[in-house]
Amino acid sequence: MNPNPVAPLETRGLCMAYGKRPIIEGLDLRLPAGQVTAIVGPNGCGKSTLLAGLARLQKPSGGAVLLDGKAIASLPSKEVARRLALLPQDASAPDGLTVAELIRFGRQPHQGLFQQWSAEDQKVVDAALAAADLGELAERPLESMSGGQRQRAWIAMAIAQDTPLLLLDEPTSALDLGHQIEVFELIRHLAEAGKTVVMVVHDLSSACRYADHLVAMKGGQVLAEGAPARVVTAELVEALYGVRCTLLSDPYSGTPLIVGASRVRACFS
Amino acid sequence: MNVPSPHGYGLLRLGRLSLLWHRRSLMIGLMLLAALAAAFLFCLTGDGLGASQAIAALLGQGDPFQQLLVRELRLPRLLAGLLSGAALGAAGCLMQTLARNRLATPGMVGLDNGATAFAVASIVAVPTSLAPSALALTGAASAAALTFLLAAGAGARGYRFIVVGLGIGALFGALTNLMLARADIDAANAAYPWTVGSLNARPPLAVWLLAGGLALGLPAARLLTRPLTTMRFSDSVAIGLGVRLGAMRIATLALSVALTGLAVAVAGPVGLVALIAPEAARYLGGQHGVPVLNAALAGALLTLLADWLGRTLLAPIEIPVGIVMAVIGAPYLLWIILRQPSGRQP
Repeated sequence: MNPNPVAPLETRGLCMAYGKRPIIEGLDLRLPAGQVTAIVGPNGCGKSTLLAGLARLQKPSGGAVLLDGKAIASLPSKEVARRLALLPQDASAPDGLTVAELIRFGRQPHQGLFQQWSAEDQKVVDAALAAADLGELAERPLESMSGGQRQRAWIAMAIAQDTPLLLLDEPTSALDLGHQIEVFELIRHLAEAGKTVVMVVHDLSSACRYADHLVAMKGGQVLAEGAPARVVTAELVEALYGVRCTLLSDPYSGTPLIVGASRVRACFS
Repeated sequence: MNVPSPHGYGLLRLGRLSLLWHRRSLMIGLMLLAALAAAFLFCLTGDGLGASQAIAALLGQGDPFQQLLVRELRLPRLLAGLLSGAALGAAGCLMQTLARNRLATPGMVGLDNGATAFAVASIVAVPTSLAPSALALTGAASAAALTFLLAAGAGARGYRFIVVGLGIGALFGALTNLMLARADIDAANAAYPWTVGSLNARPPLAVWLLAGGLALGLPAARLLTRPLTTMRFSDSVAIGLGVRLGAMRIATLALSVALTGLAVAVAGPVGLVALIAPEAARYLGGQHGVPVLNAALAGALLTLLADWLGRTLLAPIEIPVGIVMAVIGAPYLLWIILRQPSGRQP
């Protein structure tokens, strides 16, 4: 079923809980290499909790997350940081930090006590600045920049971490349409360069448009998984969000487009 | 291969090894060091003793009376001030960064009051052969343990830690007052230096212990600054960059408590240094990173100056260094906080 046999990141019987309340119970998931995976679902479906588990921010209450086949909890934290970069939703930086300084922090997992700055570090940081189109703004303080620029700077830090895996928690929330597209195109660009990207996305249409692989969650369970054009159906949308809709094919991208949505029942069940 | 250093930084390369430093922080550090050396020398001189005579006496040459004055009377006091100030400056910087709050200094979260209460108890309430210094150290550690246990779950972070610490501090403060109120006047007099902080005739053993603690603690603190700098980001970012948050927090807290405990065992509660010195170091260094060494230097300098003021202002009456520190420190702190835009965190 899965076109890629290698899954750099997978879960085995993963259970996550919030305090005593179970959120995710016994989830098996394989995230395909070199593709953009979008995790979608209604509020409270456990998608952010899943990402927190994948990024080892939160300890599972059972099961395991495997990074390249090894339990992520058993790997040294710095080693994980060389393979997996994370952009959390609540990312905040100390005051006065410039864009270049922020991006240089991405090199930290590759540095040591007495290996604090190498030619490689410089090269990767310059490349990250260029990839996120921030070259002109490198010495600007982060707090003086617009929301879209700031989000690009954070992604650039994750790029500078130079990991094969990139996890993003709602990377476009609070951004306007133009900046959303800018960020999504940057993410596509990274996947084309060979990175495996996993992102939690709120908007189903954007997820369909920019992801290769969709994981649709509700109540801690995966309802559907696969290429958006194949798995997204009117039934799935109703099961996920409790809305009835018509699906069209986007005339430009050929991906599913949701129109005429109307609520059929209370969406919290 | 020639690697350019990042903007504002200096770079030293030796084969595969490379060290990066913030230029302005280094410059401020060297200036603080020079000022400290000058203050040290200045405090050794006086009463008909010039700088060259003071240095000669320090090295064991010249007039025996001058040697006695410099080596036996002035030097121990200066060392006690310098070392305790340095330890408190560094400890304050560590704890402020850990709690992400400028108010979270060891003195604020009850360590000073714990030390005082135990030291006073050993003098007035409980007849014990243990020296007040040893008990001051125990008191600081007890207060830290209590605060940490009661604030557990908050992860040594934010307001809960500070509020619990304030409560613990108030408790020990009340205990001290109770013991002093019930003690006879001679014992209360003997305990007085422990309630205000003083550098007069400090026990040599405590000073040596503090020196040893600093020799180990300052390099350790300097090594911690790299993960600590990353811990100024939100937790999830720090974890994503590979910082072992739990281990780093415990190490930082333990180091901060140890340095504070050793310092108050020498000087008593002069904890305001831990609030002002890191603030000064950050202000001078351009709000950059976690300036633990500069905070130590600023703390040492500040304590020497406060002690000198205390000895000279109302001479021959001596004002304890803790009181001077409060008098010069409080307005300075207010000025620093008021002149900065709100919302800044260390």
